[in-house]
Amino acid sequence: MIIEIISITMIISGLFFFLGAVAGIIRFPDFYTRMHAAGKGDTLSTVLVIGGIALYYMETHHWEWSAILVALKLLAIIIFIFISSPTSTHILMKAGFDAGIKPKLKENSENNTTSEES
Amino acid sequence: MKVFQTIIAVVLGALLIYAEADFPAWASSKSPANAGELSQYYIKNIYDETLVPNMVTAVLADYRGYDTLFETVVVFTAGLAIFAILGTGVMREKKTAVPAPKRIYSEPPFDLIVRISTRMLVPVIQLFALYVLAHGHHSPGGGFQGGVILAASFIMLELSSDLRAEAAKLTHRMSIWLGIIGIVIYAGWGTLSLFFGGHFLDYDMLQALFPLDPLMARSHSMLIVEVGVAFTVSSIMLLIFRQLVSGGYSIPDKQA
Repeated sequence: MIIEIISITMIISGLFFFLGAVAGIIRFPDFYTRMHAAGKGDTLSTVLVIGGIALYYMETHHWEWSAILVALKLLAIIIFIFISSPTSTHILMKAGFDAGIKPKLKENSENNTTSEES
Repeated sequence: MKVFQTIIAVVLGALLIYAEADFPAWASSKSPANAGELSQYYIKNIYDETLVPNMVTAVLADYRGYDTLFETVVVFTAGLAIFAILGTGVMREKKTAVPAPKRIYSEPPFDLIVRISTRMLVPVIQLFALYVLAHGHHSPGGGFQGGVILAASFIMLELSSDLRAEAAKLTHRMSIWLGIIGIVIYAGWGTLSLFFGGHFLDYDMLQALFPLDPLMARSHSMLIVEVGVAFTVSSIMLLIFRQLVSGGYSIPDKQA
């Protein structure tokens, strides 16, 4: 029962972070802040949702070995996403910076390219 | 206007959720897609005839072996067509008709994070490709999927590190030969059953090769056939990627 509550909480909070990521992608002003929202929100929320599903699956299948095996496969997906999603965000940011996209800063700040505000 | 879009999204979402109740249950044998006579035959008899739990693999590699054989040939032909259209037609580097521009094969800028994370991920991806290939009898997968995953790992390696050095390890000529080898594995395994008195791609007759019963011979023959498919698919995918990324120039090119 407690495990079920924990897993449902994880899934719902993951969906909440997904909502935040979507709102960030739509609402943020320029390329870098949008990528920031997409990268952070996507990674955390995917991890939360898949972790919650793994917990729920193990609980409803009474912690049998086959269920734990499924949870381990889900854990492998979590590790994969934890490595690949921030890397892809990073390289997209870098490609954008190399292509000359300027971050949108405050109007009275002077050095446009070096300072990195998020 | 935004209100209007929101209304459309909400109504469509509500319709989808409402219609979801009419879907057949997951993996139900009575769903409308399985209503035909042929589908019912497959569902009832596949495990008794081939000992393969995954019906899709059994249908693909055994019942419709001709189809899959020529699908593999189609993949190979697509690779050859792209090579014929984009490539300079000259495999050796010295006879290149047009000198390669210098910007082609410009290496991606060195990035430590990308290099390290690729180094961590690529072995796992390749192992997973072999798993998908070999486990296609029991779970979704098979030669096409495993071959594509294998090719994707090589493409990721080439994109993230030195393209020229990675590409020199497998030239165009070698990847075309690998594609041919895959088709030869498939068609040759089908032809082999001719010598044991069966039809083309009739795996039952191959029990003379295995110390097993004919059903297991069919099961193992599917694996061998899928290995051939994976050879062709992965090498041709890599060939297509190289052609697109290099503008058709052959890769081991020391002039640029």
